[in-house]
Amino acid sequence: MLKRVFLLLCLLFPLAAHGALDLNGITMTASVNKTSLTTEDELTLTVTVDGAAGDFMPQLPSLPAFNVYARSTAKQINNFHAVSTFEYIMLPRFPGKAVIGPITLEYGNKTYKTDPITVTVYRAGSAPQTTSSAKTASGTSAAASAPRKAAPAQAPADMPPLERDLYNLAARNGDKDYFMVAAVSNKNPYVNQTVTLGVRFYYSRPFVDNAPYTDPTISNLFMESVSTSEGRQTIDGKTYGYIERRYAVSGVTAGQAQAGAASVKYVPAGSVRLSVFDRMFAAVSQEAQTVKSNTVTLNVRSTPANGRPKSFYGAVGSGYSISASLDRDEVEAGEAVNLTVNVNGPGNLKPTSDLKLPSLPGFKVYDVASSAGTVPNNGELKSYKIFKTVIVPVSSGTYTVPALSWSYFDPAAKAYRTIRTKPLEIKVTPSTKADTGFDFGAQTDLGSGFRQLGQDIRYLKSDLARDDVTFLAKLANLNIVSYLFAALLLAAGVFALLDKQTLAGRRTLARARAQLKNAWTEEAVADALSAYIHVRYGVHTASLPLRDISAALKKRGCPADLIKRFETLWQRLDAARFAPVDLQGQGTEELARQTAELMKDMDKGGRA
Amino acid sequence: MKKLLLALGLAICTAGGVCAADIQNAETLYREGKFAAALSEYEQLLAAYPNDPHLYYNIGNCYFKMGSTGLAAANYYRAFRLDPRDGDIRHNLSLTLKNSGERFVPAGMPEVLHKAFFWLRADELKGLLFAALWLFCTFGSVWLVKRRLGRTAVAALAVLAVLGVWYAWRSKIEKAPLAVVAAPVAELRSGPGSNFPASASVAQGHLLLLQDSKDDWYDVVVKSEGLQGWIQAQALEKI
Repeated sequence: MLKRVFLLLCLLFPLAAHGALDLNGITMTASVNKTSLTTEDELTLTVTVDGAAGDFMPQLPSLPAFNVYARSTAKQINNFHAVSTFEYIMLPRFPGKAVIGPITLEYGNKTYKTDPITVTVYRAGSAPQTTSSAKTASGTSAAASAPRKAAPAQAPADMPPLERDLYNLAARNGDKDYFMVAAVSNKNPYVNQTVTLGVRFYYSRPFVDNAPYTDPTISNLFMESVSTSEGRQTIDGKTYGYIERRYAVSGVTAGQAQAGAASVKYVPAGSVRLSVFDRMFAAVSQEAQTVKSNTVTLNVRSTPANGRPKSFYGAVGSGYSISASLDRDEVEAGEAVNLTVNVNGPGNLKPTSDLKLPSLPGFKVYDVASSAGTVPNNGELKSYKIFKTVIVPVSSGTYTVPALSWSYFDPAAKAYRTIRTKPLEIKVTPSTKADTGFDFGAQTDLGSGFRQLGQDIRYLKSDLARDDVTFLAKLANLNIVSYLFAALLLAAGVFALLDKQTLAGRRTLARARAQLKNAWTEEAVADALSAYIHVRYGVHTASLPLRDISAALKKRGCPADLIKRFETLWQRLDAARFAPVDLQGQGTEELARQTAELMKDMDKGGRA
Repeated sequence: MKKLLLALGLAICTAGGVCAADIQNAETLYREGKFAAALSEYEQLLAAYPNDPHLYYNIGNCYFKMGSTGLAAANYYRAFRLDPRDGDIRHNLSLTLKNSGERFVPAGMPEVLHKAFFWLRADELKGLLFAALWLFCTFGSVWLVKRRLGRTAVAALAVLAVLGVWYAWRSKIEKAPLAVVAAPVAELRSGPGSNFPASASVAQGHLLLLQDSKDDWYDVVVKSEGLQGWIQAQALEKI
C-alpha cells in the first residue's frame, strides 16, 4: 500500500510542479543597462521571463539601429518558480534616437510583449551625460550603468593616488590611439615598504589579441605581479579601453630606485573604431608596433635609527601577526623539539633578516632556518615567513620558551611596533635512553667473596671548597717578592762582574800587606808572597820548583815581565832564607818593599 | 665602630647560613631524584661562589644523572683543574670519560705518575716555583758575592729548572682550548657550514681540541680518534 502511495506521489510531483508554474502566471520584462550611450559603447538588453518553464525563446523585434553580437541564457528554478534571463549585447550603429520595439514571447497559446525602450545614441566623444538609470519595458526603474561624465582634464581629488596619477598621465596622451602609462602609489617609500606599481596599456582602436607584454625593468627594487584588470576611460571625448597590471614593489636599499619601461607589442586591427568585442572578430591588417610606459623613479628612505628595537629585522608595513608552536610539548631530555615561528602580514617579508632567538636556559639551540613566500590577495600582496629551529633540552623539568619579540616599522604612524608570541611550556622528563650512569658492564669478580656489580659516580660534596687555600697557593700571589729576589740576584751579579778583580785583589793585597807589616824576617816575606800567589792565582808555591811556579803563573795569564820579577824576587828570598848573606846589601825591609810592589803590579795587570 | 663590626659579622653569618641551607636544599633535591631542580640550585650557588670545585663537581653529578654526559664531563674537568688532588673528582671524571670512550690517563702512562703530575694545583705549583726561585736567587747571590754555597746554588737551580718545566707543561695542558661534545650527537663536517658534507658523527662526552673558529663553527680534533673537522658551536661545550 505504501509503495503505491509513494509511486503516485512520484508521478504527480512533476505535474504539480508544472501546474504550480502555470498557476502563478507569466511576466516578461525587458531592460537596458543604459539609455544614453555613444556609438562606441555596448548596450546590454536583458529580457527576464518569470514563470515560464520548458524551452522557449523571446523574439527580438527588428533592430536596424543595432548590431547584436552576443547572446546568453540563464534559467533558474526556485521553489517551483522558473525565471529565465536572456541577455543581448548590442552595439549602436548610428547616432540618434533608437527604439527597441516590443519583444514578444509565444508561450502556452498566449503571446506576451514588453514595452518598447528608447535609447539615445551619441556620436563617439560627444556624449553629454549618461542617465543614471534605464527604463524597463514594464515602466519601472531598474539599475543601470554608472553616470558617464565628460572627461575632466584632471582626475577627481577623491580618487586614490595611484588611480589619479594613472588617470592624469593618460589624459596627456589623448592624441594617440595606443599608449602606456605607469605610476606608483607612493614615491617615497621606506626600505622594504611595499607600494603598488600600476601599468596601463590604453587603446582606442582594436588590436589583435595575444599582444606580448613585457614587465618593467627594475633597479634597487623587489617586484611581484599582483593582478591584471581591464577598464575604460574617456580622454578628450575619446573612449579608451585599457588593460592594467599591478605589481607590489619594495625598495631594497635606501636611495634612488627605478621601475623602467614596460612594453606591449601589438598589431592594430583595421582603422574602424570597434569595441572590445569587435577585436575578437577584426582582421589583422597592419604590422606589429610597440608602445612603452614611462619610467617611475622612487626615493627609498631608511627607517629611522632612533628607537629601532633589537627585534627589528627590516619589515615595514602594518597589520603583522606572529605565532609560535612546538611540535610536541612533552619530551625526554636530549630529544630534539622543533620550534616554528610564523610571521604573516602585508608586503614582502623575503628580504627581512632571520629571527634571532634569545638564549634559552636549559636548551641547546641550533641555527634558525627560514622560508618566505608571497600570495597575491585582492590586488594586494600578502606574505609569510616561517622560522624553524631545533631545541634540545639538556635536562628534565618544566621549561618555558619565552615570548619571542618581532618588530616592524609602521610607515603610517612613523613608529616601530613590536609583536610577541605566546610563551610555550615544555615538559621534559629524564632520558630513558641513557641510564643514570651506573655501569653494569663493569662487573668483575674481585675474589675473597667480593664481586663488583658496576660502577657509578661518587656522591655529592656537601660543602664549598672556596676557603681551601694552601700555603703554597698563597706564595703564588707574592709576585713582588719574586721580583725582589730576582733584583737581588741581578745586583749580586752586577756587583761581582764589576768588582771581581779589584775586590779580590784588594782583599788579597790587604791580607798580604798585613802579613808583610809583621814580616821581620825574609821567611815571613816569602810566606806573604806565597799566600798572595796562592790566593791571587791559585798556585801553590810550597814544594814546587821555581820553574813550575813560573809555568803555572804563565798558564794563568800572568804577564812575562811580572813572572821575571817574581822569579828574581823569589830567588833572592830563597837566598836570604837559606843563605843569610846580604847579596846586594839589601835588607828584609827592601825585600818586603819589592814584594809589596810586585803584588800591587800583579794586582793591576796580572790576569788570573 | 663596634656596631658596624657587629652588623658585618651578622651579615656574614647570615650569608653563610643561607649558603649552607641552599647546599642542603640542593642535596635533598638530588637525593629525591630531582636532578634538574638540584642543578638549578647549584648553578645559582655557582653564580655567587664562582670557581668553587665542589660546585662544579656537584653540577657535573646532576648532569650525569640526567644523562648529559658531555656537560657532566665539562663540569668535572673544570672541577679537576681547580682541585686535581680530589679523589672523587678524579674518579667521576675518569668514569664519565671512560663511558664516552675517552681516556683520562693517557695510554702508556702509569696512573701513579699521572697523579703525581697533577698532585699540585696550578696555583700551588706556581707557589712552589716561586719558592725555588727565591732560594736560587739567595744562594746565587751569596755565591756571586762571597764565593760560597756554590753547590747549593747549583742544586737550587736544578730544582728550579725541574719545577719550571713541570709548570710550563701543566700550563700548556691546562690552557689548551678543550671542549666536549654536549649535544647527543654532533656531526663532524669538512667545512664551517651545514652545506659541507658530514664526515663523521661524534657522540656526546668526547673530548675535542679546538683549533680554529669561523662564525659559529669550530675546527676541532677529536682527541680519542684523531679525527679533524668542523663542529657547530651549539653542539659543544667549551671547558
